[in-house]
Amino acid sequence: MKKGNRKIFAFILVILIQVSCSDWMEQLPPQGLIREEFWKTKEDVEAVVMGAYISFADMDDLLFKFGEIRADMVKGDINQPDDEQKIMEGNIYPDNTLCAWNMFYKVINDCNDVIKFAPKVQGIDNTFSDYLLYGFLSEAYFLRSLCYFYLVRVYKDVPLVLEPTETDASNVYLPKTNGDEVLVQIRQDLENIRNYATIDGYPTFAETRGRATKASIDALLADIALWTFDYEACISHVQNIEASIKYKLMPSAEWFEIYYPGNSFEGIFEIQYDNNLNHNNKTAGLTAQYSYNYDPSDHALELFAKKYAREMVRGEDASIKKYSESDFIIWKYVGMAPDGETERFGSVANSCNWIVYRYADVLLMKAEALSQLGRFSDALAIINEIRNRADVPPLNIADSKTAYEDAIMDERALELAFEGKRWFDLLRMGRRNNYSRKSKLIEIIIRNVPSTQKRILATKLTNPMGWYLPVYELEMERNKNLVQNPFYNF
Amino acid sequence: MKKIKNTVILVLGLFSFSLAFSQQKAVIRGRVIDKADRMAVIGATVIEYDQDNRVLNGTVCDVNGDFVLQMKDPNHEVKVVMIGYRTKVIPTGGAGTMTIELESSNIELGEVVVTARKKEENSLINIEDRDIASSRVKIDMVEMRDVGVVSASDALQGRVSGLDIIDASGDPGSGSQLVIRGLSSMGNNKPLIVIDGIPQYMTPSDFDLSSADQEDISNLINIALQDIKSIEVLKDAASTAIYGSKGADGVLLIETYKGRLGKVQFDYQYKKTLNFQPRAIPMLNGDEYIMLQLEEWHNKEGIFEIPPEIAYDRDYFNFHNYSANTDWIGAITQNAVTNDHYFNISGGGEKTRYFTSFSYVDEGGTTISTNAKRFSTRVNLDYFLSKKILFSVLFSYTNNKVDGNLSLEKRNIREMAYVKAPNMSIWERDVHGNPTGEYFTPINSYQGSGSVFFNPVAVARLGKDDRVENSLQNSFTLSYNLLNWVKLRETVSFQFGGDKRNNYLPYNAIGADWLSWTINKAEEGNNMYSSVNTETQLAFDSPFDSSNHVLSGALTWITDQSNYEWMNIQGNKTPSTGIQDPAINPQINWIGDGSGSSRGLGILLNLNYKYKDRYMIQTILRSDAHSSFGSNHRWGLFKGLSGAWRFSQESFMKSIPFLGESLLRMSWGVSGRQPTDPYARFATYESTNLGSYIRNYPSIVNRFVQLDNLKWESIETVDVGLEMLLFNDRLSFEGVIYNKTTTNLLFQNYYIPGSSGFDSLKFFNGGELGNRGWEIMMEYRLIQKKDFRLSVNANISHNINSFKQLPANFNREQSTSINNGEYPKRVIQGQPIGSFFGFRYEGVYSTDEDALARDAAGNILYDNEGIPIPMMFQSTYTFKGGDAKYADINHDGKIDLNDVVYIGDSNPDFIGGFGASLKYKSIEFSCGFHYRLGFDIINGVAMETEGMDSRNNQSKAVLRRWRVQGQDEKDMLPRAYLNHPANNLGSDRYVEKGDFMRLLNVMIGYKLKPEICEKLKLRTLGISFSARKLMTFTNYGGQDPEIGQDASDPFWIGVDNAKTPPPRMFTFTMSAGF
Repeated sequence: MKKGNRKIFAFILVILIQVSCSDWMEQLPPQGLIREEFWKTKEDVEAVVMGAYISFADMDDLLFKFGEIRADMVKGDINQPDDEQKIMEGNIYPDNTLCAWNMFYKVINDCNDVIKFAPKVQGIDNTFSDYLLYGFLSEAYFLRSLCYFYLVRVYKDVPLVLEPTETDASNVYLPKTNGDEVLVQIRQDLENIRNYATIDGYPTFAETRGRATKASIDALLADIALWTFDYEACISHVQNIEASIKYKLMPSAEWFEIYYPGNSFEGIFEIQYDNNLNHNNKTAGLTAQYSYNYDPSDHALELFAKKYAREMVRGEDASIKKYSESDFIIWKYVGMAPDGETERFGSVANSCNWIVYRYADVLLMKAEALSQLGRFSDALAIINEIRNRADVPPLNIADSKTAYEDAIMDERALELAFEGKRWFDLLRMGRRNNYSRKSKLIEIIIRNVPSTQKRILATKLTNPMGWYLPVYELEMERNKNLVQNPFYNF
Repeated sequence: MKKIKNTVILVLGLFSFSLAFSQQKAVIRGRVIDKADRMAVIGATVIEYDQDNRVLNGTVCDVNGDFVLQMKDPNHEVKVVMIGYRTKVIPTGGAGTMTIELESSNIELGEVVVTARKKEENSLINIEDRDIASSRVKIDMVEMRDVGVVSASDALQGRVSGLDIIDASGDPGSGSQLVIRGLSSMGNNKPLIVIDGIPQYMTPSDFDLSSADQEDISNLINIALQDIKSIEVLKDAASTAIYGSKGADGVLLIETYKGRLGKVQFDYQYKKTLNFQPRAIPMLNGDEYIMLQLEEWHNKEGIFEIPPEIAYDRDYFNFHNYSANTDWIGAITQNAVTNDHYFNISGGGEKTRYFTSFSYVDEGGTTISTNAKRFSTRVNLDYFLSKKILFSVLFSYTNNKVDGNLSLEKRNIREMAYVKAPNMSIWERDVHGNPTGEYFTPINSYQGSGSVFFNPVAVARLGKDDRVENSLQNSFTLSYNLLNWVKLRETVSFQFGGDKRNNYLPYNAIGADWLSWTINKAEEGNNMYSSVNTETQLAFDSPFDSSNHVLSGALTWITDQSNYEWMNIQGNKTPSTGIQDPAINPQINWIGDGSGSSRGLGILLNLNYKYKDRYMIQTILRSDAHSSFGSNHRWGLFKGLSGAWRFSQESFMKSIPFLGESLLRMSWGVSGRQPTDPYARFATYESTNLGSYIRNYPSIVNRFVQLDNLKWESIETVDVGLEMLLFNDRLSFEGVIYNKTTTNLLFQNYYIPGSSGFDSLKFFNGGELGNRGWEIMMEYRLIQKKDFRLSVNANISHNINSFKQLPANFNREQSTSINNGEYPKRVIQGQPIGSFFGFRYEGVYSTDEDALARDAAGNILYDNEGIPIPMMFQSTYTFKGGDAKYADINHDGKIDLNDVVYIGDSNPDFIGGFGASLKYKSIEFSCGFHYRLGFDIINGVAMETEGMDSRNNQSKAVLRRWRVQGQDEKDMLPRAYLNHPANNLGSDRYVEKGDFMRLLNVMIGYKLKPEICEKLKLRTLGISFSARKLMTFTNYGGQDPEIGQDASDPFWIGVDNAKTPPPRMFTFTMSAGF
């Protein structure tokens, strides 16, 4: 059998030739980036931070819609999608596609990824300094907090996801967290990271407007504080911004430069678009003359063109533009100059920034906080500073919180028209002092709905849960741990 | 026991030869005859072997079956070998004259071979066929050679219990769907095809993105039917476990002809087939259509301005184009001819045997501009290098060219022909009614945009959607007998192939102007794959010489590696219709490419033991690794255990005279399935597809979630079977019950909550799917005389499918939409895949007053003011007379999602077939039936052609529509009403019983007598006529009840969407052998 043994040996050899080490089984994709090959350098971290900004920038139309269509400053035109019309008229059901929160959570997941992996990269990349690391982290925390702040204002209670969805073993079936707890979490995060954020340490001026800075974190903190009626905190956060010499109100003559060319001294956080980089906004498409999506509402026209005929800086040909007696459009995002003449063209047509926070906004936040604390004269000074810049006469307001609240509401409507602020301002008013001005809020909301709907909607909206959107039907179906907003649970 | 030993010796003997000579010589003479009909067997080979089984000498019988062999040594054995017969060994004992009776190795051509005493060559298990204790069925394909079918799947239809075969479409070159024992996974349920031991390449899921919506050209089409000797279907996991991770959806083993010892033979076969499209559903003509449209408008609007297209306005400039009576279905249907040429040469000597074939099929389609051409060739070569070494080479090449038609806006040509307005003409006419020579393709027609409601004739004639597929396969096998009882086999096989698609849509085929983006759209896609498989096997038989204990087994080491790549380019607005290349100067719409590779390893151990030819036990253990899994779940273990008791061999059974060889068997096994995407498990990041943020910074985002839990889907089967031969082996019976459970179901694109930052997981393992049922196959040779044989066969199988368990977070409702033309989709634990949900349709409200809400007792409901509450659709529409009436299940006066109930199931309860064959002298007759019973179909064509709520053409059935208040007739349809919100809801109105029985094949043939052939210098000559799908017995109202299953989607429901139904075919066949 010696011969046989040799054969068996040969056979085993044949097998061994076929089995090499287990590397043979390790097949990596020829295209694309996989996690095993990623998170190696600081550039990788930066790329994901930029990816998160891009994903956030994908939502400018959503921010416009969430901030405006349920409020009273815009109206739908013939091209307004059906789902958006339903929301505008208060016919909101969970199957409305606008209720999907996926895009916010996409940004949140990328931010969570940065927060988790960036510190690990520092162990691999020697050139990754603490300064850079914490800079990136501050941007990630800022974007994540901003997303949650929007989510809380739109849905009230939402799942609080603080870990990236790394693998299929991650728990993706999280229940909702109370909106107040979410706000506590993000305030904490922002306050912790604020000191590491840069003031203007970016290579270009555009980046000091387009990426998170100390001032943008302060602005967000002020906004959150105001939303939670923590007026002292709000004032102190705004004071932090005021203390920086980097921000100031633009002069009256240059007011329109806030929007074109944008990135003004007044901007605190603006989402940047650049057609040359093939990165286009959607606001121009929503508001341009022939888009027939959204036009200024009758109430907006009243504010700008009729009641305040002297609104020269912010009014006709600046915030809005009149083509005919019945044809007005929103001019901020499509015009070249406050002349109502030249529309932006070519490469700048879709390059207009979406302004999340600007100086006038935070000043008015402070005014609101001051007035609610009874410091009326300080508040009035700010209001009149804004009005002065707008070339309209100063106001005299009776020393009552309500009077100030109304005056600031109107001032914000004029100054920040169509900037995705109005609905949240109204909600803040409606929620204040245990819903004491609920009826005022409802009165404003039903201004904009068809007359047949007014009565029904007014009754419906006495339940404050109806001010928030339902969880999208598909999301409810995919996540059994979610509880629908009781207002929509029928 | 002896027989088995002989077989082993034969197997070894066939592979050996010798140059040794002996001294003594003697001459033997004899005649070889068929044992059954006692006719001479022509061409049988008579070989002399020495003690070591070496071939010494041989001769071939003449036309009378006579032979003369000069023997080297009279003590040597003589073997008589003839293809189609069992080899016979004769100890001659010296010179003499003898008559040798050969027994046919196949019980009957085309019948189930249950007890063939042969070991499969190149098999992964080392066991005789008759001892196999797991569930397999082998079909001999000889009979199907003459029938007018083109592919193997057609030939199998209705012939194997538990195997459900559905023609995907009647268009040429389209594949079939094969489902073994019910839908068992969320994949595409394609069985693994193994040709001559080589598993065929399976395309991964992200391969060929360009043609994702097209049916693949099935592997079964790529092989000429005439090359196939037999097909074996492995049904239970105890047998499919042999193929480990690839066997989950069942396995088809295809064996092709091989060369045989003897004179060279030529065979030629020619088939001509005429294909006829069955009668289409009658549609409205132009006049009836216009009347219907006017009624729809009137009912909707009351008073309205009549659109000029339907106004009979002779001054309208398009009057002549809108006043036709076009039969669109007729215009796109044609009768077609299929030509099939087949030629083979086979033969061989002692050292080399060869079989080579060429086949060319030109298949005509019954839809205009469809055609498929296939050229295939095959070479099977065996070379006996030495007594111990056999070297085999298999080579095959196939070229498929399929000319199809484009589908636009998700409608194919035929679907469009059904709905296209019949008052529009095919050809354009000018204001005066003179033909312009162009197709009539307005940019906007009465029906809508010209690119949505296109002219189907123009798109078929001017557009193209062509595909060319090439595949090449080559394998080398070296067998080496290490010891008397140990054999080493090494097989290396290569598969290489790919396809190229070209489609083009010129501007004049659709209504589009020169500025439109969609005109002159050209697309080209290329796919390529290659794979290398190796198999190293050490097979052994009983080392001990005992007739009581028989042991055999094999240890096999398997590797496979495959690579694929694809490229696709799509361009719009090519400058001229003469330029159809997307790369030349058009506006590139998109370009994509991709590639990948995967690797697998497997170790297979198989042990078989048999005691006293009565008790058998077989085990299979296979361990597989695949590169698509992470190292934690990489190795999968697949196993099979089966046992059998040949009770007919027991002494106490011998007394039963009518009992032939009979077997009781049980098997249990687990096989598996791997994800089709080799890279699914990786977390991937991607560059944001558009744009960068400020300063052109690179920006990267998450794309797919890493899959740590990805593992094998496993399928477990328990199977109990009884095989019996009764009454002198004239009745064969096989009955099986089984239970098949799929666990860790592999779901593709499994949705997860958006709060995760993702939409879905690429794959997800979860849930449990069950199939249980029984199968019976029978065959009875009623008459068995020399000149007259008659046999009948039948099979039936029953399967119950159910979702035993759904994954914990599974989204059970995919769509809650209850709009016109839509069925809400649900999956319910305990119910089968393919259950329908919808409203109950209860006819038509005769008058406005009938459309009132009623309580459970049928009493009208009144509101506070005593006014009857009207019936509403949701809360938006109030039903009126003439509207469709739906059951208000919860009696709330509203038809809404709460009234949706279970209304049907797409899975057949019973499938099977039966047939008969008759042979009288030289005349043969056979027929085969196929049936599927107990399933429902959503008649999607009726839904689209009986709704009367759009500007689409409708079927003649709508002539029975409601027209005036109070009208109440039997089978009345609701009223015509443009854009009615609720008249065409997903309801049981369109759910029909799909049961059918079909005369699948009927064939009559005549074979010339050998004497006459001899005079004509031919070996054989035969002619036959056959018809396919001649008659269908069904109550189904649509065109064809053969609707495919699609389990890639748990929410699948069987909707008949007017695919080209399989044509009726009449075939003339002529075959000759030289």
